[in-house]
Amino acid sequence: MRVLVVHAHPVAASFNASLFRLTVERLAANGHQVDTIDLYQDGFNPVMSETERLNYHDLEINRKPVESHVDQLLAAEALVLVYPVWNYGFPAILKGWFDRVFLPGVSFGLADGKVRPTLHNIGRILVVTSYGGSRFRSWLMGDPPRKIANRILRATVRPGAPVTYLAHYEMNLSTEQTRQSFMSKVEKNLDKF
Amino acid sequence: MRILLVYSHPVPESFCAAIRDTAVRTLEKAGHEVDLLDLYAEGFDPVMQADERRRYNEMQRADHPYPDHAERLEAADGLIFVYPTWWYGLPAMLKGWLDRVWTPELTFHMSDGPGPIEPLMTHINLLGVITTCGAPRWWSYVVAHPGKRTILRGMRALCGKSCKRLFMAHYLMDKSTPESRANYLAAVEKRLAKIRG
Repeated sequence: MRVLVVHAHPVAASFNASLFRLTVERLAANGHQVDTIDLYQDGFNPVMSETERLNYHDLEINRKPVESHVDQLLAAEALVLVYPVWNYGFPAILKGWFDRVFLPGVSFGLADGKVRPTLHNIGRILVVTSYGGSRFRSWLMGDPPRKIANRILRATVRPGAPVTYLAHYEMNLSTEQTRQSFMSKVEKNLDKF
Repeated sequence: MRILLVYSHPVPESFCAAIRDTAVRTLEKAGHEVDLLDLYAEGFDPVMQADERRRYNEMQRADHPYPDHAERLEAADGLIFVYPTWWYGLPAMLKGWLDRVWTPELTFHMSDGPGPIEPLMTHINLLGVITTCGAPRWWSYVVAHPGKRTILRGMRALCGKSCKRLFMAHYLMDKSTPESRANYLAAVEKRLAKIRG
């Protein structure tokens, strides 16, 4: 299976970055073809410019500034996101990846003002993430990143594609044991690909 | 009241710019002091880099990446965000502003143990979101308004207990008409004119 793994954490020594490396290695060891986008490493600019916004609905040219990302996204059969939750949302660099890459003509079409999702090449989604807050507190806040995965991403890719959301909450209180057991959980889920 | 209005849109002649202008005019007319922060115009950098991330938990005021923004946030009694909803959430520019400017010891105090964080933005009595959405209202509710929740629940938890919330959205922007936009601006004006304090 061709899998696109997207990562967004600035610190290479972080737990999150080790989850990214583990993901890539495990998928490759299992014989998958792995594409990676390491947004910080690549110095990705998440800010949609004025020109991009003005050309947003022009299907001929809107993808030009991020063409390689669009190509990788459209070639993928599965998408894995590895990132930390900051302020109950994606880090800006990842939010901007969605803003700039998930364009009309790429992930959706617009017909009469209505959105038609088109990213049907993707048949599986896995999210691997870590929170500072507890699951309860995140739930109180409506847990926006969980809803983005389970509702929005699910609706964007092939209908019926499984979406798995793996989160380590309360990172500040994590121990060697909680981290290890989370890594095993991630491996187990990667093996289902 | 002193209101920090945080605005994020790349196109100067956008509808969001008209919302911003309506908001500033109405609030000033009602006697409020408005501090306008235009993130695109300032060329704000929303990406938190490795060094800043490493220092984040122990961030001191002297290390704050945007001390000027920290001061303006501290001086505010109310906060209003005007932005387009992109991909159901905040533009990366605005998300990064929350990530980089709302630092520990300025906006919240992290406890050493398992206890919850302590809010420090208790001087904020009003938190508002005025936005535009491509999606229809019903679908925005199905996907639970992630952008709205990030601000009106997530950031709200760092504000005062009696902090009031305000949310307005023009849905289906791609099908908007001059009339729907004019109606929305009128609704924004009417709503903001009611703000007291």
